[in-house]
Amino acid sequence: MRKFLLFFWFGFWISACSTQPSLPTSIPTPDELTFMAGYKPQANLPFVGVYVAQEKGFFAAENLEVDIQHSPGRGEHLQLVTSGEVHITTQDAAVLLQRRADPGLPLVSIALIGQRGQQAFAALAESGLKTPLDWTGHVVGYKGTPPPDLFAILAAVQANPEQVQLVNVGFDPRVLTTGQVDVYPVYKSNEPYLLQSWGYEVILWEAADYGVPALGLTYVTSEDTLQNQPQLLARFLRAALKGIDYAREHPDEAVEAVMKYTGPETDPEHMRFMLLAELEDAASPVTAANGIGWQTLEQWQSLATMLETYDAMPVNDPSQAFSNEILELAREGEN
Amino acid sequence: MQKTRLESLPVSRVRDTSEVIAGRPGAPSGLVVALGLVLAVFLVWELLTRLLAVPVYILPAPSRILQTLAQNGQVYLEASLLTLGEAALGLVLGATAGTGIALLLGLWPRLEQGVMTLAILIKSTPLVAVAPLLTIWLGFGVLPKIIITGLLTFFPVLVNMLSGLNTADPARLDTLRSWHASRWELLRFVRLPESLPYFFAALKVSGPLALIGAVVAEWTGASGGLGRLMWLAYTNLNLPYLFSAVFILSTAGILIYSGIQWVERKLVFWEG
Repeated sequence: MRKFLLFFWFGFWISACSTQPSLPTSIPTPDELTFMAGYKPQANLPFVGVYVAQEKGFFAAENLEVDIQHSPGRGEHLQLVTSGEVHITTQDAAVLLQRRADPGLPLVSIALIGQRGQQAFAALAESGLKTPLDWTGHVVGYKGTPPPDLFAILAAVQANPEQVQLVNVGFDPRVLTTGQVDVYPVYKSNEPYLLQSWGYEVILWEAADYGVPALGLTYVTSEDTLQNQPQLLARFLRAALKGIDYAREHPDEAVEAVMKYTGPETDPEHMRFMLLAELEDAASPVTAANGIGWQTLEQWQSLATMLETYDAMPVNDPSQAFSNEILELAREGEN
Repeated sequence: MQKTRLESLPVSRVRDTSEVIAGRPGAPSGLVVALGLVLAVFLVWELLTRLLAVPVYILPAPSRILQTLAQNGQVYLEASLLTLGEAALGLVLGATAGTGIALLLGLWPRLEQGVMTLAILIKSTPLVAVAPLLTIWLGFGVLPKIIITGLLTFFPVLVNMLSGLNTADPARLDTLRSWHASRWELLRFVRLPESLPYFFAALKVSGPLALIGAVVAEWTGASGGLGRLMWLAYTNLNLPYLFSAVFILSTAGILIYSGIQWVERKLVFWEG
């Protein structure tokens, strides 16, 4: 009897396995793609485009299965893109040029989302500082290494950088409120919100206001991926840009999408502030003429010249650092 | 039968002061004293933050931290389970590797200089430098975190175990040698049992270290865990969330240490 039951069960199992309905052949297996945001989950516009595309099914509509990862922000994401582990990441345009020049990472921007620089310099309104000329004799903070736009701003107002005391402060806007520095470098869409939420009025100086060319975040891939998988990149970019468009129309839903990737420690209002600020910076005469994400040699050349002028990188050909090819492919697919 | 009073025992037979305190009639136990001290520190902290009106983004009061913990219990539970799991597996990996290598060196001492040089090389390498490589080779899951934790915890075990194996009682070793005991028998019957206290001493260092290892590994890129939560909280300067994770890690560290101590008392009963 036991043998019969065993035989019966085995037969049932075999038949169950063999009679499983096969998947319709008309649905192709989704292509897998790994996106790594260049920093923690937050409402940076290129991140938001991806979060929204994931949540709203824009990637699925492109038959893409996107694995969304986040970099701790120390450059690992660039290493992983170069190694092929990650297909697409995000990176500030200036840092992209610098990493291409040294150590020569084969990275290419496929869309310039931030048409203005991300950074600015902040002081408390009560400090009495009015222009960068007033920084003379004061303590100015920087993150990591003094940014070239700091020297460019000082040069634009004809201030002597020798008379400004520079200190490395890292990420901690509390050094401004506690008076350890007089001027603190901020990401325009980030720390000003925190400082204001703590009850401080701040004054901001942005490089672009002094005629200093600066660009923001880009979607970045490797030269290898660009050459070998252009259609995959185009499908990703089409969905992500659709995500950005959706976020512009529905900021509340976009913030909800962001909050799914952060945690309860993140203030949704902070994310909303960041999103709106970056949406504003994503528009420029270039995008008005060519659409979001477009990039020109003139933009990259100006940035490269500024970086070379302030010794931030050796002379390098910026025309190799970006390509509109994927953006054009993505738009072709829309029609 | 004559009873021996605890106070009359020689100092060497008294394990620690908590036993003396516990032994006095009416005296509070070690646990009560410890809890009292922690409560006193929290009380002073709470009072100072309130009296000095310290902003929450500089230093949150303990009450605010506990409130954050209570309001986000599920989030912290899930993050803790992940981090503690990584820490536990990393500790097992590190302790196994450390013990295994120490045993090999106990059997073949000629390998010691070469292997220890390599071990020191690994120990001296900043883990944040190798973390991206582990991600490239092993992906984005928990495996790189476990390996980083293992790398951080194996060295104390290796060094302590090696010391334990090398300081075995020469008289006992000579006795066994006179009976033509093999290297394996010397290891099994003398060196290994005598190195057990050293092993547990190493575990008491490596246990809490495993938590730090898991958290640091999560800082190098993770989709969950207390380390990620702390990183996000810090980059948002949300200090109540940051300190909530610190509270959990501190408590876990104490529990791990106490757990290892308890197991040690059971297994190494001839000591102390």
